[in-house]
Amino acid sequence: MLQYSLRRLLIGAGMLFALSMLIFVMLRLTPGDPIDAYIDPNVPMSASDLAELRVTLGLDQPLPVQYVAWLRQALLGNLGYSIKRPDQPVLGLVLSRVGPTVLLMGSAIAIAIIAGIATGIVSAVRRNSIADLSLSVLAVTGISSPPFLSALVGLYLFSVYFNWMPSGGMLTPGQEFSVADLLHHLILPATLLAVAQTALIMRYMRASMLEVLNQDYVRTARAKGVFEFWVITKHALRNALLPVITLIGSTIGLAIGGAIFIESVFNWPGMGLLMVDAVEGRDYPVIMGSTLVIGACVVVVNLLTDLAYAVVDPRIKVG
Amino acid sequence: MKGLLRLSSAIALAAMMATTAIPAFTAPARAATLSGGFDVGPGGFQGNFNPLAATGGFTWLSVYFEPLVTYDEKLEKVVGQLASSYEVSPDQTTYTFKLADAKWHDGKPFTAKDAKFTIELAKNAKTGSVLAARLNAVSSAEAKDDKTLVIKLSAPSASLMDALTKVMMLPEHALSQIPADQLAKNSWWSTAPIGTGPFKFSKYVTDQYVELAANTDYRGGKPALEKIINRYFANPAAAIAALRAGEIQFTYVDSNDLKAFNDNKDFRVIEGNSFVVNYLGFNHDSPIWKDIRVRQAVMYAINRDAIIQSLYGGAAKPANCAYIADQVVPAGIETYAYDPEKARQLLKEAGWDQINGDKPITLLTYYTTPLAANVMAAVQAMLAQVGINVTPRAVDTPTYNSIVLNPTPDIAQFQMVYAGLQNGPDPGSINVGLNEKQIPPAGPNVARVRMPVLTSALDAALSETDAAKRSARYQEVCKVMNKELPWGPLWVAKRYGVASAKLKDFIWTPAPGGGPYQAHPEKWAIAE
Repeated sequence: MLQYSLRRLLIGAGMLFALSMLIFVMLRLTPGDPIDAYIDPNVPMSASDLAELRVTLGLDQPLPVQYVAWLRQALLGNLGYSIKRPDQPVLGLVLSRVGPTVLLMGSAIAIAIIAGIATGIVSAVRRNSIADLSLSVLAVTGISSPPFLSALVGLYLFSVYFNWMPSGGMLTPGQEFSVADLLHHLILPATLLAVAQTALIMRYMRASMLEVLNQDYVRTARAKGVFEFWVITKHALRNALLPVITLIGSTIGLAIGGAIFIESVFNWPGMGLLMVDAVEGRDYPVIMGSTLVIGACVVVVNLLTDLAYAVVDPRIKVG
Repeated sequence: MKGLLRLSSAIALAAMMATTAIPAFTAPARAATLSGGFDVGPGGFQGNFNPLAATGGFTWLSVYFEPLVTYDEKLEKVVGQLASSYEVSPDQTTYTFKLADAKWHDGKPFTAKDAKFTIELAKNAKTGSVLAARLNAVSSAEAKDDKTLVIKLSAPSASLMDALTKVMMLPEHALSQIPADQLAKNSWWSTAPIGTGPFKFSKYVTDQYVELAANTDYRGGKPALEKIINRYFANPAAAIAALRAGEIQFTYVDSNDLKAFNDNKDFRVIEGNSFVVNYLGFNHDSPIWKDIRVRQAVMYAINRDAIIQSLYGGAAKPANCAYIADQVVPAGIETYAYDPEKARQLLKEAGWDQINGDKPITLLTYYTTPLAANVMAAVQAMLAQVGINVTPRAVDTPTYNSIVLNPTPDIAQFQMVYAGLQNGPDPGSINVGLNEKQIPPAGPNVARVRMPVLTSALDAALSETDAAKRSARYQEVCKVMNKELPWGPLWVAKRYGVASAKLKDFIWTPAPGGGPYQAHPEKWAIAE
């Protein structure tokens, strides 16, 4: 298993290298550069000042030279300085955002897994009941509402209209840090981020559970007179969970996409907000740095998903 | 599964506990703290604290930094801030400033050496200063004694004082050790900056908020508030949500979003001139606009009053040159009242069928707001009625800049732009968009206006240092613009801020770039 993990990580590193090259080239193909983003059309800057700024930022060099210079520094752990906010080193900026994003996404995924699996089981066991039907309607609504829409509706309802939750940010400004304050700010964005995933997991869980409940061994268990609760939890659930775990792993990407919206609507100081900001400002170093970190996360998460298989189902052998 | 159930009930329990604890956080913030979205909207400069690089954000920066001179609250004249008085030599090339008795936030005295140091930093493009070009006329800055600063110019400059309002004074003792080209990268700006203003920098939580604490030694008296917090918002909608939820007491508001606040006794709407003229820039490198009758036809074809009424809710004033201020708009200029019949006639006379006919014309803009999208659609429909077929294209600012500021641009990408340019409080700021000497790469004359008569009118106005005569010179500029139509001027919109009715003595002016102006943050107060 160790060898397998190492090999996967090595492949992951290669993929990150390719990713960095791809992003680098694509960034240079988009119209406008950091200087175009930096200058205000209303405030004149002389051509010589602009040229000097280009030299300072290294933008006057040919592309391959720029890339090699960037890569050499990146391998040493230096991802450069943000162009938009030159007093911030990119690595520090990106790392300071990993925590809030992991917290937000982690909470959302936890909510989605728990709520999705629980409602999926209920739906399957009470097939065609009113509960099943209403949950199914909710799930379809959840899957089909884009994160930015649910985020705006949620923000309006719970924060502006009812005024139950803060409208944004991670902590109350000007107050000492407290876990309760953090949770209070976390609940709404995390729940809204979890909506689509919960619905998806629920649908999968329901289908998978239904299939398992029709299997012979379940019937056998029932015939043996096993208590229905144990039939479902011990015999059916374990097998029904397998396809759902694959799904959970692959929805991490979905969560990253959703997190970008949620973070900018709720001003959550995470990677999503940072990236939106950086793309708008053509802040090359920040875009490169944050893409790499997200890429690394995806590689690790995929590996962990595969390892989780082996834990849940001993028949699967990795390596 | 048992574990899973136990886990889920634990989480449910935690969530319930958190919910019951909520009332503790929704208690109002301490009365002596003012929270606002000071960097929201066109006057903001989010997350960058370096005043040398600031193209906006002065509303906030001037709460803890101060310039030598600033605008008064109405943006009509330049008054002393850190300079208690100033004199100008008869030949208009020597300015002598007497400095106020002020202290830096660390207790050290503010002296003329600090002022000299700051002016030199601002003149040095290596520091990333955006003011370097605007201070070109300054040949030297000298500290005659601790409280006297002398600035010498190589030639008289009417816009020097306007430029100086943007130069926030910086402490020599804190910054002189840092090489100029490393200054922008230094973390001093966001960790330990010191100024001379009524509030001191106390905390910055990256991309969340900045907290300032009262400077009890402020020369203008002890501030009424204990703290001022500037919260960051990724978009104006989020700021408005926070304002309506009572989390902040002030923010900039787009005219579209005013409805929720008008006639609401909990809020006070602050209205003011945006000093930004919106215009259709004809790309003069494109042959289709050569005939002045075509440009006139565009003006007659657009029903500006209808757009102002229906899209701006009346919150704009039609512009027939770059200005709308009474003292710079001469009487008797053409008003280009809506007349589609006349527009068709002019196009026919000019032979529009041969010039372009109904081939699509790209109308490029960097405005991406819903309001701008509606304006573009209205303009498109109105021009279509007289036979000019425009296709709006909205892009982000870097893309826009890369297209229009390109020294050899692709005309097909922007035969026309919908843009805005600052026209006040110093009317000289319009020069960069119209003077032939400002055609890219030299400056941002993106419409490539090459009109000798306009250029000489602008040059004459810029070198006029006599305040009384200057308005007459700008009237001349307005007259030329109105007649020759280098652009199709559209309107100057109003700008809005909304403050909680609890705020007392709060001064906010929708100044270009956020000011600076005499905002007196030391007097701001908040009622219980």
